[in-house]
Amino acid sequence: MKINPVKINPVKTKKPFDFFYAFNVVLLTLVLIVTLYPFLNVLAIAFNNSDDTVRGGITVFPRVLTLENFRTIFAFSNIPQAFLISVLRTVSGTFLSVAACSMVAFVLSRRDFQGRAFLSRFLAITLFISGGLIPGFLLMRDLHLMNTFLVYIIPGMVNAFNIFMIRSYIDGLPYELQESAKIDGANDFTIYWRVILPLCAPVLATVALFVAVGQWNSWFDTYLYNGSNQSLSTLQFELMKILQSTQIGRDAAYGNDIAKQMQQISPDSIKMAITIVTITPILVVYPFLQRYFVKGMTLGSVKG
Amino acid sequence: MKTPKNRWNRLIAVGCIATVGITSIMALAQNSATTPITFTAFASDPNANWNNMQDDVGKFLTQKTGVTLKPEFAVGDPIAKINLIAASGQYPDFIVPKGQQGVLVDAGAMLDLTDLINKYAPNIKKVIGKQFDRMRFTLKDPKIYFIPNLDSIGQIDFDTDAWYKLQLGALKEQKYPRIKSLQDYEKVITTYVKKHPTTSDGKPTVGLSLLADDWRFVISVTNPGFWATGASDDGEWYIDPTTYEAKVHLTRPEEREYFRWLNHMNDIGLLDKESFTQKYDQYLAKIASGRVVGLIDASWEIGQAVNSLKAAGKFEQTYGRFGATLKPNMKAAYNQPTGFRGGWGIGITTSCKDPVRAIKFLDYLASPEGQVLNSWGIEGKHYNMVGGKRVIPEAVQKEKSNNNNAFARATGIGSYNWSIRYGDGVKDATGNYYTTNFPDQILANYSDEEKSALAAYNVKFWNDLLPKPSSFKAKPWAAAWSIPVAQDNPLNEFWNAEQDITRKYIPQAILAKPADFDKIYDTLLAELETKISKYSKLQTQLVQDRLKLWKILK
Amino acid sequence: MNSVTSNQSNASLEPSLPRRNTRARFWKTFLDQRYLYLMSAPFALMVLVFNYVPIWGWIMAFQKYRIGKPFWAQEWVGFQQFVLLFQDDRFYNALWNTLAMSCMGLVVGFTIPIVFALLLNELSNGVFKRFVQTVSYLPHFVSWVVVAGIVYKMLSTDDGAINQLLQFFGQQPVQFMAKNEYFWGIVTVSDLWKELGWNTIIYLAAMTAIDTEQYDAARVDGADRWQLMWHITLPGISRVIMVLLVLAIGHLIAIGFEKQLLLGNPMVKDASQVLDLYALNYGLGANNFSFGTAISVINSVVGVILLFGTNAFFKWRTGESVL
Repeated sequence: MKINPVKINPVKTKKPFDFFYAFNVVLLTLVLIVTLYPFLNVLAIAFNNSDDTVRGGITVFPRVLTLENFRTIFAFSNIPQAFLISVLRTVSGTFLSVAACSMVAFVLSRRDFQGRAFLSRFLAITLFISGGLIPGFLLMRDLHLMNTFLVYIIPGMVNAFNIFMIRSYIDGLPYELQESAKIDGANDFTIYWRVILPLCAPVLATVALFVAVGQWNSWFDTYLYNGSNQSLSTLQFELMKILQSTQIGRDAAYGNDIAKQMQQISPDSIKMAITIVTITPILVVYPFLQRYFVKGMTLGSVKG
Repeated sequence: MKTPKNRWNRLIAVGCIATVGITSIMALAQNSATTPITFTAFASDPNANWNNMQDDVGKFLTQKTGVTLKPEFAVGDPIAKINLIAASGQYPDFIVPKGQQGVLVDAGAMLDLTDLINKYAPNIKKVIGKQFDRMRFTLKDPKIYFIPNLDSIGQIDFDTDAWYKLQLGALKEQKYPRIKSLQDYEKVITTYVKKHPTTSDGKPTVGLSLLADDWRFVISVTNPGFWATGASDDGEWYIDPTTYEAKVHLTRPEEREYFRWLNHMNDIGLLDKESFTQKYDQYLAKIASGRVVGLIDASWEIGQAVNSLKAAGKFEQTYGRFGATLKPNMKAAYNQPTGFRGGWGIGITTSCKDPVRAIKFLDYLASPEGQVLNSWGIEGKHYNMVGGKRVIPEAVQKEKSNNNNAFARATGIGSYNWSIRYGDGVKDATGNYYTTNFPDQILANYSDEEKSALAAYNVKFWNDLLPKPSSFKAKPWAAAWSIPVAQDNPLNEFWNAEQDITRKYIPQAILAKPADFDKIYDTLLAELETKISKYSKLQTQLVQDRLKLWKILK
Repeated sequence: MNSVTSNQSNASLEPSLPRRNTRARFWKTFLDQRYLYLMSAPFALMVLVFNYVPIWGWIMAFQKYRIGKPFWAQEWVGFQQFVLLFQDDRFYNALWNTLAMSCMGLVVGFTIPIVFALLLNELSNGVFKRFVQTVSYLPHFVSWVVVAGIVYKMLSTDDGAINQLLQFFGQQPVQFMAKNEYFWGIVTVSDLWKELGWNTIIYLAAMTAIDTEQYDAARVDGADRWQLMWHITLPGISRVIMVLLVLAIGHLIAIGFEKQLLLGNPMVKDASQVLDLYALNYGLGANNFSFGTAISVINSVVGVILLFGTNAFFKWRTGESVL
């Protein structure tokens, strides 16, 4: 390997032949292939005829191309409405959660804040304790959050894990930034809003991704709290319903005749098609977030 | 107490009740129970074809009864949701909890339906007939909380399934030999595999494949233990028909010999090496490729693979089914009559706004009109009366078979089996079957290959190869798995505790060297004895309580 | 790093002040920090309501809880559920498997994504980098059912890719899925495969916080690629690594059961039973809420102890508190 000469533009190291770089590209290409496979497999099965899929052996290309599996899914009504609710909960839930978590994270990053140690532990403990399904359910009932849209947003809004992520990022920023702003007479909220938040774009994008994916994929809360309210149904919940109705439950073991009869659609094909329907919006949105955490950035200018 | 004042009071009271009674009767007469009412419901089984009663049958029902159902269907495991419903005290009007009845009854969520049925539900009473007691909950709590809707009344199985499956091609090649014993069954496989060690595309032929993926283990691996030894389906139990004692069926000495046979099949290399590791989809793929000569499984479990074979035109690789047994004196008990099994059904909760309307709705569904509506649809639209016979027009039938789900969604046929009903093979007053499953239709679904096999065996249906229902004594307890278990009964743990043991040792025993088989089977029995015998006593109690409840035991 | 906890610094400043003064000083600071309080108190309150209030459910562990019955009508059984639990040999088997798999997952699931992030970071910002990064997180969205199905097919003795490879090199095919000794490894590798890219995102984000000037300066001093990685990139994300590690160690015995359930089969029963599955089978699944709660209480208590223990250990070793 050659010794690096000093570069003017260090981010893009271009040399005549870099052995490590070549090795790295080969290695990552391998990772690429290995991780791409399950997705391609799902894609192929989603577009393959379900009778044919049962025969097995589908890898990355459909054998008998069809749109039937998707047609089955979209034949169910209520999908557009559920899609809208899903988008709404994802957007508003993500926005509010990121706002809340970043604020708390900022407060925790302040070394002079007197409640810091307590608050930090108070939050950390929540990651490990849970009262269980029943008390949680009764709480939502007593707070009148059942059959409301808010039940998607409020209970999980403050998330300790995300707070610690953001805080560890803020901790990595030079503390002098805050101190000099303080000397300039800015109040704590202004420091958060004007100084810290703009610098946190990468971690906020990451946390936003985590929250958004969580919101987009969750269906159990819909089932528990809004299961009987069609107008608040979410896409994942509707898809889950379709999937479940094509599967034979364990009751078949007990001679359940109804369960035995439900096997017209192959559940595997539906499952794959549903996976594709779920992932596609995430794939579309992802690049917009990705640029925040793939690109490096220069703090020099801000430090000034 | 008998002061005049009191008497007056009483008189006034009686008068009031009378007036209230009269007005309510008048109100009833006026509206004849068609004022619109909406009932909420929770159902444990998903129904993707539910169309908010905007289907043909649904609209008719609403018009006829005024009732609009607003059900919520379970997604995934219904247990959690039903527990929460019970815990919250906010119940829907109707609930179909399947196995989770005990929790709801314990929480006081369920209404006792006995009086309601006696007063307002003549049709339900007629359908259940003499088996009225079979709707009662438990001996300790003999109220009626649920109207059974899982099992149907008087069902005649024209085409009972049998577990021992052989490819039609192999049978044909060997000139359709008689399959009575496991030896006959084994011989077909041995002969075929010897002659065709590989399939046409060069892959090895699989002699016999089993499936052990999660709960499917009991269907294909352990249940055949009783099927092949003359016992019938009591879930994981065997109930002694004379003493009504329950024991885990694997502890019967005959079943040890059955698993020894499987061990032998493995020893001679005919058992698929992946039998205990393959997942369901792998198993289906293997069958669908046409490589597996013999299967020991239920037809509904291999349905997808068989459909795929049929779609590919490989009818010779589909299966014939036989009630093979270990010894010639054992009678494969697939057709042993159980009587009405009772068990799971629909209940009305204590939150129900109008229990009388609710029971009347269920009663309408149980009426001849309601039952025909649910299975056949609307006359003139989904079927016609031709010369006194119900006939489905060709166009409707075509839509029904080709586009099953869309058809069900548009018509609502099959979506309203909420109440008690008659099974296949029962005829109504007009001499027509209540349901649309009857012999002619089953025959129409057989392939030509199946028909020639059946002709060679000199029978009409596969079912005809099995011992007839009339050759058995009915099981007075119906089926052990259909008995409700109270919430605090430790039997709730039985399934997991027993599966933890059997799923570990049975595969070991089958795959062991024949010399080691007994040692492992003994370990299995010892484990069952130490860890499971306490549940046997409880199950015995459960069975005997049911018999007392049903007034069979005193 | 700069996370010295505040009460320490406060205490060391003026340790011998009279009590009233301390209190007055608290309120003065309180007033100064009113924005900080305003920015955190409402959210702390939400956490209190949604995360702490339901803890009353733990009382169930000391009862024979029956659903739907009022609270005072429940039967109290003291520590009976815990005694039952500690007497059950299935519990110890499940605990052992859980610990083994979570430790393996911790080692592999931490190191490989960091290495992967470092390698990705070495690529120039281009289409390839983005593409690799995007693709690598895709398996995260594929459900375990599907992933388990693919794993089974690859390891099958009937045309499985891995066994075909083995046979190509003249080896005997191996029944991977039928052997207890392979099971933990298979779970760990499948998990890595599924979550590698997703777990990398957080490190990539942390790397963006590293000032590029640092690299320039180091390069001027003649540092090579490895030195840059070791002395700048890795320390730059060490804070994130530590936070994640401490939290992960807290979750050592609460690892879920989905992958074990779906990858398992009767042949590997002894290696695949984990605590969460045990809790489901013998607690909620058997209508035994109190027993299920007892297990979750133990899970929580062990989690919190591990959390604070690890944190204290880090503090002792490095002088910094993660919390």
